[in-house]
Amino acid sequence: MPVTNYTIRIQRKRKTSDGRIDSHWKEYTVKATETTTILSVLEEIKGEQDGTLTFRQSCRSAICGSCAMKIGGRTRLACKTHVGVVARDNVVEITSQANQPVLKDMAIDIGPFFERIHKITPYLAEGPETDAVTEETAYDQVNHVTQCIMCGSCYSDCTMAEVSPEFIGPAALAKAFRFVSDPREGQKTRRLKQLAEPHMMWSCARCAMCVETCPKDVKPMEAIVKLRTRGVAKGFNDGPGPKHALAFHNDIKQSGHLNEFTLMMRTVGIMGTLEELGTAFHLLKKGKVPSLFPHKSAGLAELAKIYEILEQNPLDVETKAKEVVPE
Amino acid sequence: MKSHDLIIVGAGLAGMRAALEGVKAGIDVAIVTKIHPLRSHSCAAQGGVNGAIDPKDSRESHSYDTVKGGDYIGDEDAIELMCHEAPESILEMDRMGTPFSRVQGGLIAQRAFGGASFNRTCYAADRTGQVMLHTLWEQLVKAEVRVYEECSMLRLVTDAEKHVAGIVAYDIKTGEVFPLRAKAVLMATGGYGRVFLSNTNATTNTGDGMALALRAGAPLADMEFVQFHPTGLLSSGILVTEGARGEGGYLINVHGERFMHKYAPNKLELASRDVVSRAEQTEIIEGRGKNGAVFLDLRHLGKEKIIERLPQIRQLALDLEGVDAIHEPLPIRPTAHYSMGGIRTDMHGASPLPGLFSAGEAACVSVHGANRLGGNSLLDTIVFGKITGKHCCDWLKGKVLRNFAPTEVDAVRAQIADLKRRPDQGIRPFSLLQRTAGGMNEHFGVFRTPESMQEGLAKLPQIRADFEKIHLDDKSDAFNIDLLRAFELGNLIDLAECIMRGAIVRQESRGAHARTDFPDRDDTNWRKHTLSHWDPGKQEVVLSYEAVRTVGKAEYAPKVRTY
Repeated sequence: MPVTNYTIRIQRKRKTSDGRIDSHWKEYTVKATETTTILSVLEEIKGEQDGTLTFRQSCRSAICGSCAMKIGGRTRLACKTHVGVVARDNVVEITSQANQPVLKDMAIDIGPFFERIHKITPYLAEGPETDAVTEETAYDQVNHVTQCIMCGSCYSDCTMAEVSPEFIGPAALAKAFRFVSDPREGQKTRRLKQLAEPHMMWSCARCAMCVETCPKDVKPMEAIVKLRTRGVAKGFNDGPGPKHALAFHNDIKQSGHLNEFTLMMRTVGIMGTLEELGTAFHLLKKGKVPSLFPHKSAGLAELAKIYEILEQNPLDVETKAKEVVPE
Repeated sequence: MKSHDLIIVGAGLAGMRAALEGVKAGIDVAIVTKIHPLRSHSCAAQGGVNGAIDPKDSRESHSYDTVKGGDYIGDEDAIELMCHEAPESILEMDRMGTPFSRVQGGLIAQRAFGGASFNRTCYAADRTGQVMLHTLWEQLVKAEVRVYEECSMLRLVTDAEKHVAGIVAYDIKTGEVFPLRAKAVLMATGGYGRVFLSNTNATTNTGDGMALALRAGAPLADMEFVQFHPTGLLSSGILVTEGARGEGGYLINVHGERFMHKYAPNKLELASRDVVSRAEQTEIIEGRGKNGAVFLDLRHLGKEKIIERLPQIRQLALDLEGVDAIHEPLPIRPTAHYSMGGIRTDMHGASPLPGLFSAGEAACVSVHGANRLGGNSLLDTIVFGKITGKHCCDWLKGKVLRNFAPTEVDAVRAQIADLKRRPDQGIRPFSLLQRTAGGMNEHFGVFRTPESMQEGLAKLPQIRADFEKIHLDDKSDAFNIDLLRAFELGNLIDLAECIMRGAIVRQESRGAHARTDFPDRDDTNWRKHTLSHWDPGKQEVVLSYEAVRTVGKAEYAPKVRTY
């Protein structure tokens, strides 16, 4: 494989004495092939050009979760990312994870991330809901979430965390799902009740960024969707999240159309709707006016069939297409 | 000065398992770890953990396999203890929440592994270490154990009576150097894979605990026995689990021929690791390799089995080698992987240095002898983590904190100041590490010749001299990894010396130590443990020897070892 020069642009960050982060971009040139990993490149820069460059790393094999950083605009593990995949015109841009406080260069303060994990009671709890036997298929549900290595990539790229620091985040919710679905867990209902509280599972905007970005195919959003379904099944229907979801569900099932005119009322009630009048006015100005007269879709029979299939297995809907193995 | 009853250094499986015993005993236990517990290298163990949990299997058979696998230099009482405790320790992990793969009816699934006479390796797909590590971390959170995260130990401190008094720690996040007093210190710092240039290990595996214990006066045992894993990926050295062969994978040479029948006619690819690594190296030396590698062929297992049982390693090979195991054989070679040697302990994890305990890869109990069986390292961590933790807590009762001289902290601070003061014109730690580790690969690899080993040792004085000249680019306090690596390099050089001296003096071939001039095992003269000691007067490593502990069973008597 041909060796070429790559320009590695790194956002260098230093904490100043008054606690601010001082940052500037610095460029390094390294020789590499397309399949050289970003971690090797960083190691070479640190070892041979500039020992002040700072980043975490350990296993080199995508299992310890140390080296997640923003590479080419997306959070990735440096150890499994090839230069060739992220370089644009032989330039690679690297900076620290987003949504987390920075200590130095790519080393972030991992404390706040783990505080969120701690909130979901991250250990198997004893209780009345433990199953007697762990079947052969017991972990089919949780296999994807037990792959999580707590690298923080999903939280760094989470669009909801960007606007709402209170949101518990994809990794914590995936971890919560791991316990809710474990046959040995004794407190499944108590967990679902907690997860229905504000800033937990209903705060996810389902943008699927976490599914895209996760280096271990954990599919956090899939876990979140499954948690919601289980929560609703247990009767935790209070709050705008589940109400919104149920309103959607009923509208589509009955008419194939969303009745946007009443959706807000059904989600946040009269007072909540009044608070959003300003938004409604803006929508009106832009010409986005919901129909006052709800009508039924033509393909309702087909829709009924889709629902029939989905409802045969309401808990375990896949949110990501299965990986196609190249022949 | 901060103090605890027990300080555990390292938060991998052994360290965390030991900490849980401290919680159970109600003592004040704290963990000091240079990386977050979930980053510990235990997570990289893929294949599984051995235990005779099947009624058709037996603990005796497991013990026998381990004695034989270790080439008759493991301590038999400790081996029997480990194999006896294995089933309960594994089931305990299961109860704590480890999602082990299952068979119909709910029992834990088991797969074949090298050197084992029964399919006794419990697994969770090919990421057993990771799920076990996460389970113990969960328990650590539950028990609210105090963890000094991202704090590195820079010195093990003893009092005037050569009794452990605590450690000097370095907070990586802030650069603060601080003393931690303790009645006992338990080293669970893992191995030193980085002492070899090509290795399967994390970059953080620098044997800190072993090296600092050595300098504090504790002996290290059997350091010449370094396991070369038969299937490290060619370009990165990253591990491909033995489980891949356990699931039926073949080893083939450049001509596409399976070759293990020539070296281990019965167990073939599932002979013990030392045997397989030598077979591969022989194929390579005799010209039947390609670019210094032979191949692991999984194609005949089929897409489905590979994806179900070995998903992670397929992905790793794709990411790091650009090869899809479903369609192509993986280029692999013997790669430094595991240290059979370590801090010498008795079968309860106590070292001869009062107040110092050790468990896991950092320790030499010795259960692995001259060659560890696959699946016995995870077992070692949870069994001896538990036993050592418990024993340590019992030992602590009635003990008091020892005198911790403040000069110990001053000395470390002075060392740091000196490193930062040096002009930017010496040698970078990175290049010296490359040279040191490159030399170990060259002179102390799978096959060792007397001339080459001497050549390797002859380079040591220059390496030590150059170490005094290394300089740091980074002079800052916060997150100064440059500084940390300088200390780690010092540790690795000490450990390299132990390996070199032990290997040169041991005039036989046993387990992972294979000499071309002494190709046979010599039980009359060499069925004994090598002990390495730091001689402060000579400023070098000196050796002594200790008998293997035997239990007198006829089936454990040394025999010609064939697979």
